[in-house]
Amino acid sequence: MAGARARCLAAAGALLVGALLAGAACGAARAQTAPPTVGDGITLGSPHRGGTLRLTASSSGGTVDPQINYTSQYAQLFYVLYDGLLTFRKADGEAGNTVVADLAERVPAPEDGGRTWRFTLRAGLHFSDGQPITVADVAASFRRLFRVGSPTAGAFYGAIIGGDQCLRDPAHCTLQGGLETDDATRSVVFHLRQPDAEFLQKLAFPHAVILPAATPGHDLGNVPAPTTGPYMFASYDPDRGAVLVRNPHFRVWSADAQPDGFADRIQYDFGLPDEAEVTAVENGQYDWMFDMKPLDRLGELGARHTAQVHIRPLYGIYYAPMNVNIPPFDNPLARQAVSYALDRRAMTILYGGAAVAGPLCGMVPPGIPGALSDCAYTAGADPDDPAPSWRGPDLARARALVAQSGTAGQAVTVVAENTAIDMSMGVWLRNMLQSIGYRASVKTLAHGMQFSYIQNTANHVQISISDWFADYPSASNFLDDLFGCENFHPGSDNSINIAGYCNARVQAVMDRAKQTSDPAEAAALWTQAGRLVDRDAPAAPIIRINYIDLVSKRVGGYFYTTLYHLLFSRVWVR
Amino acid sequence: MAMAIVRRLGQTLFVLFGISVLIFLVFFATPGSDPTARIAGRNASPETMARVRVEYGFDRPLPVQYWRMMEKLFVTRDLTSYVNRGEKVVPEVLQAAPVTLSLVSGAAVIWVAASVAMGTLAAALRGGWVDRGLMMLGLVGISIPVFWLGQVVNLVTQSRYHETWLFSWVPGLGYVPFSQDPLGWFRALVLPWITLAVLFVGLYSRVLRADLVATQAEDFMRTARAKGLSPARVLLAHGLRTSMISFVSLFGLDFAQLVGGGALLTEVVFGLQGVGRLTYQALANLDLPLIMATVMYSAVFVVIANAVVDLLYLLLDPRVRDGY
Repeated sequence: MAGARARCLAAAGALLVGALLAGAACGAARAQTAPPTVGDGITLGSPHRGGTLRLTASSSGGTVDPQINYTSQYAQLFYVLYDGLLTFRKADGEAGNTVVADLAERVPAPEDGGRTWRFTLRAGLHFSDGQPITVADVAASFRRLFRVGSPTAGAFYGAIIGGDQCLRDPAHCTLQGGLETDDATRSVVFHLRQPDAEFLQKLAFPHAVILPAATPGHDLGNVPAPTTGPYMFASYDPDRGAVLVRNPHFRVWSADAQPDGFADRIQYDFGLPDEAEVTAVENGQYDWMFDMKPLDRLGELGARHTAQVHIRPLYGIYYAPMNVNIPPFDNPLARQAVSYALDRRAMTILYGGAAVAGPLCGMVPPGIPGALSDCAYTAGADPDDPAPSWRGPDLARARALVAQSGTAGQAVTVVAENTAIDMSMGVWLRNMLQSIGYRASVKTLAHGMQFSYIQNTANHVQISISDWFADYPSASNFLDDLFGCENFHPGSDNSINIAGYCNARVQAVMDRAKQTSDPAEAAALWTQAGRLVDRDAPAAPIIRINYIDLVSKRVGGYFYTTLYHLLFSRVWVR
Repeated sequence: MAMAIVRRLGQTLFVLFGISVLIFLVFFATPGSDPTARIAGRNASPETMARVRVEYGFDRPLPVQYWRMMEKLFVTRDLTSYVNRGEKVVPEVLQAAPVTLSLVSGAAVIWVAASVAMGTLAAALRGGWVDRGLMMLGLVGISIPVFWLGQVVNLVTQSRYHETWLFSWVPGLGYVPFSQDPLGWFRALVLPWITLAVLFVGLYSRVLRADLVATQAEDFMRTARAKGLSPARVLLAHGLRTSMISFVSLFGLDFAQLVGGGALLTEVVFGLQGVGRLTYQALANLDLPLIMATVMYSAVFVVIANAVVDLLYLLLDPRVRDGY
C-alpha cells in the first residue's frame, strides 16, 4: 500500500502443500457421506478447517469502503472479502505478484496496442447477499470509483475514456465510450485514451473490486458492502473491531484467485497499544498483530519466540526527499553530497538491524523489475562508475561537493516524524549534515501531521525522512509516483512528489515505460529512468525494509504474499 | 442561590465556547493538519481534493465551518469523524464513557480510602518513623509516571510472570462490560484501578496530613481537647471533617478531569476503550470532530464538578454557609 506502513508474513510451503493435499483427500472421502457445505473448496474436510482466527490492531483502518480505503491494514482484509475482474495470485512470496483472472474468466491480451482490454465475466457467481454478479455490477463499480472520489480514480483509472470527465463531474459519470458491457455475452470491454501496460495490475488492485450496482454512490463509512470472497462482515465497529464469518454464497472458482478459508470466523479487535499486542500474541490471547513490532521487543521475540516470528521481504523503502526548488538542495551537487555522506549501515541499525533492513542504493527496492542492481553513491564509486553494492559513506567527497556547490554554511532543517525510528534517523541526518558543512537542525512533527507537512511547498521543507510502499510490483510505484511531474502540486498537502522534481527527459522515459507491454523492455526503461533520477538525486535512498510478523503458537500454515502479507484465509488455527 | 446557579451556567457556556474556538482555530492554523488530504487519500488527484473540500465544507470561511460543526455537535448531534467516516462522534463518546467511569470510580474508591488512612495515620503519629515512611511512600507514588507504572505492571502480570500462580488469573488487556460479566469486569479493571490510584494516594495523603497538622492549632480543636474528648475522637470527628475541605476540592477537580478523559495514559496502556483513549486517538489522527467532542465532554465534566465541589463546601464547613 503506497505510503501506509505495510506488514507481512511467510509461508510454510511444503507444510502447506501437505496440508492442502491432506485436506483435499479428506474432502474427497467426506464428499460421499456428507452434503457440501459453505465454501465447497479446498479446505472442506480438512482437519484444519474451523475455529476463530483472532487478530489485533491498535486502531481501525478507517472506512470499510473497499473502493476508498487506502491503507495496507484494510487492503489485507479486503483481499479475503472482495474480488475484482483480476487479482494478484494468492501464492506464497513473490509468486503472489502475478496477475490472475478473478471474476473474469481469463486475463486478456491487449488489443489496439494496449488501448483495449476485453474481459468475460464468470457465470454463476453471487454476492454474499445472494444477488448474482452481473456485468451491470462491473460497470457500476467502475463508475462508482469516480463517484465516490476514490484516491486512485485519477492515477489508476483516469486513463479509461471518459475518466477525465468523471473526475471533473463525478455525479454524472458514465464512462461513455470507455466501458462497454454486454449482458448476453457477459463481456466487459475497456477503452483507454492511451496504452497502459500496467492496466491489468491496476485492475487487480483492491480499489477495482466489484460491488453490487445498488451500492450507494458515497463513502460507505462503517456499513460494509456485500462481499464475494470466502468471508463477509458479521459486524463492524471502528472503535472495537470487526467480525468476519463465512460467506454462504461463496464457492471456489479459482483457488489461485480466491481460495477457500480455513477459519470459520475471523475476529479483528482494535484498541491495544503495540507493546500490549506483542504480549497478547505471545500469550496466545491473539493469533496475529497488525502494528509494527516495537524495537525494544525485537530482542525478546528473536530469543524466546523464534518459531512464531517470520521475517519476509517487503516492497518498502525509507528515503530522504530533498526539495530541488529551494536552497541548498536546488543545487544537484548538494543533493549528491547528502547521498554520498549517508551511512546506510547506521540507518539499518537504527531501524532494527540487518535482519529487518538493508542499505538501499536506488529508489526502487530490490525484487521489482527495473530496480538498480548497483550503487552510485558510495565509497569509490559515482554515477558513471557505480559499485556492485554499497560499501560505506564517502564523507570526504561529500564535503568536497558541498564546498564545490557553494552552499556550505547554509541552514538546513530536517523534518522527521516523532516516532522512535524516524526521530533517530532525523537526528543522525542532522549530525551528518553538520559534519559535511551545513548549519543543520532537526524538527520533529507528530505522526499524523508530518507526511502532509513535508508534501506542502508552502512549508518550505528542505529535507525530510519518509517511507513509501508499493501498491503493485512496478518501478512506477516509486519512480513515477515520487518523481513524476504530474504528482507535484505546489501548495497542496497532497503532493507526493515531495522533492518537487520534474525532469522532462526522465518523464519521457517513464511515460514510455508505462506504455510498454513487453516486460523486459519496460524493465530496461525503468532502469534507465532510475539511473537518470539517481544522477539528479532528488532524494537519497536510505534503506529497504523487511516485514517482521508475529503469530501465536496456534497458527499453522503461515502464508505470506509480498503485496498483502499474511493471507487470513490460508492460515489455520489449532 | 438561584443567581449562583445562573452565574455558574453562564460560566460553563463561556468556557465551552472559548475552548471550542481555541481548538478549532489551532487545528486550522497548524500546517500539515488540513483534513482534505487525509480524507481524499494518498496521491489523490487535485479534482478529488477539490471535491472533498466542497463536500466537507472546507472551502467555506472559518466562522461558517465553526458554526456548522457546533450545530452538528450540539443541535443535530450527527457530527461524523474525519477518519472513521460514518462514525458519529457523540454516540462514540457516550459509548466510551462507561469504560472511563468504571476505571475512574474504582480508582477513586482506592485512592480515597488509602489516602485518608495514610494521611490520618501519619498526622496522628507525626514526627515518628511511621509518618516519615508513609509520606516517603506517598512521594514515591507521586513521582512514578502512570504510563511507566502501567507498562511495568503489564510487563510483570501479562508477560514475565503471567504463567505463574500469582498472575495467571490476570485476563488479557481490554474492557469487559459489567453487565456482561461482573467478575470479568473486576478482574480486567483491578490493576488499572491500582495503577491510576497510586499517584493520587501519594498526593492526597500528603495534603490531608498537612491539613490535619495545621488544624491541630485551631481554636475549635483546642476547645474539643479541653472538653476532655479522646485524641482519636478529636482527630477524626473534628479535625478530619474540617481538613477534608482541601481534599474534597481536589477530589472534585481530579475526578471530573479523569472522567472527562484525563485517565488517557492509563486507558491507552491497559487497552481500555474509554474517553481518554478516544481523545488520544483523535489527537494522533488529527480527527477534529472527535477532538472537539471529547474536549467538550471533558470541559462539561470539569465545570459541573466545580459546582458540585462548591455545594459540598456548604456541607463540610459551616463557615462557608455564611457566604450565601
